[in-house]
Amino acid sequence: MADTKFILVVEDDPILKNLLGHTLAGKYQTLYASDGNEAIALLEANKPVLVLLDLMLPTMDGFAVLESIRARTDELKNVPIVVVSNLGAETDIEKAKSLGANDYLIKAEVAVEEIVAKIESMLAPSA
Amino acid sequence: MTIRVFTALLLVCVLTLAGLAIFVSGLFLRDQLAPLVTDIEANQELMLVIFEISVASVVLVLAFTSLLFFAVGHFIAKPIRLVANAMRAFAESGQVPAPITVWAPKEVRELEVAFSGYTGRVDEVHKHDMEVSRVKSDFISTAAHQLRTPLTGIRWALEALQMEQLTESQKALVASAVEKSHQLVSVVGTLLDISSIESGKYKYDMKRTRVDDILEEVARDFAPQAATAQVSFVFEKSGSESAVVSVDRERIRWVLNNLVENAIRYTPAGGSVRITSDAAAGRAYVRVHDTGIGIPDTDRANIFTRFYRASNAVSKQNGGNGLGLYIARTIATDHGGDLNFEANGSGPGTTFTLSLPVVE
Repeated sequence: MADTKFILVVEDDPILKNLLGHTLAGKYQTLYASDGNEAIALLEANKPVLVLLDLMLPTMDGFAVLESIRARTDELKNVPIVVVSNLGAETDIEKAKSLGANDYLIKAEVAVEEIVAKIESMLAPSA
Repeated sequence: MTIRVFTALLLVCVLTLAGLAIFVSGLFLRDQLAPLVTDIEANQELMLVIFEISVASVVLVLAFTSLLFFAVGHFIAKPIRLVANAMRAFAESGQVPAPITVWAPKEVRELEVAFSGYTGRVDEVHKHDMEVSRVKSDFISTAAHQLRTPLTGIRWALEALQMEQLTESQKALVASAVEKSHQLVSVVGTLLDISSIESGKYKYDMKRTRVDDILEEVARDFAPQAATAQVSFVFEKSGSESAVVSVDRERIRWVLNNLVENAIRYTPAGGSVRITSDAAAGRAYVRVHDTGIGIPDTDRANIFTRFYRASNAVSKQNGGNGLGLYIARTIATDHGGDLNFEANGSGPGTTFTLSLPVVE
């Protein structure tokens, strides 16, 4: 596969976005969206192989993005989605997983390196 | 003595007196009237009539007193019983009473109105209390979430900085900052857990664990702190095989950390803190014995109450928030266990006992 593999990072905090980019930039082609609508637009335009999704977002929140992606009829319906959020209650985690999130990381409790490791393991089977 | 019994006794007295009066007046009539009637037949008839009137009077009095007895029972005793039952139900389960539907005298009505005003007030205060508690829980979790976002930035930035070319002293500084940022992350996590445990929303991750394994961990973790406080600190392993319990290890660790931390904090230098474990009748017991300042009699009933701090704990300069034991007991009871304490029989100090159901 010669195609560029994109990872879509949905994160509304500019500083956190930069910090993620700082580590991800050398490893992946990354796209950044700062709200739900932008995320859906970028998803359709670039067909990423994985989505890192924040939950607390302006306009359309992460849960809505999850629902909208899993309700699609094209191949993007099954794109792996890792929620990376500072919401950490069991109810949030269960809700995200029931809506189709493949994994859930609590932002403050993981290092960026752990997010990278998660991306690696999610992409491994298809690589 | 119930109203019915009291009334019955009263009526028996009335009945006796009435019977006596009837008997005496019967005798009186016979004695006074008999000499006036000379005809033997008429005399006999008169005696019979007097006897009949006496019997009829007794029957009538009996009927009246019975009526009175049932009326008092039905219109006074029964409504009061209903109000009392409603009060008891409210005391036991907080069930707000429905108005009683039977006829009742004014005083009982007033009692009922006063009681319903009372329950209304209690209910209002209770609702307010629940609301305050909910708002506080929400506040804690919102505040914790608000803390997490900047904390994530600090943590990630520091970790990125660690990847850079740094001098040894810079590395040491960044490492300290990283460590503290991790500590802060875990404090915020605990805060969120506490608020969800408190609101009853927490989901425990139950796993089979040997009690002694947890205790060894606790003993290891607190050894340095005890040494600094110059308090001797040991886990005295029991001779028998450790009991196995099904617990959320992190949460039970939290409970034990709290107990041991308190024990060390309130034990003066030279004192001792001991952990022992035993099992009996399907329950495992972990006991934390200290030779500390103890808990004053006046505070004993309240130390498991939210935000309560014993009087001698407040006067000491130490950081407690009065939540530790409340949360600890909540965790224990959520596990089907309990948390209790007693003053040591001989010598100063207190022993806290955590009990947990044994599996197998």
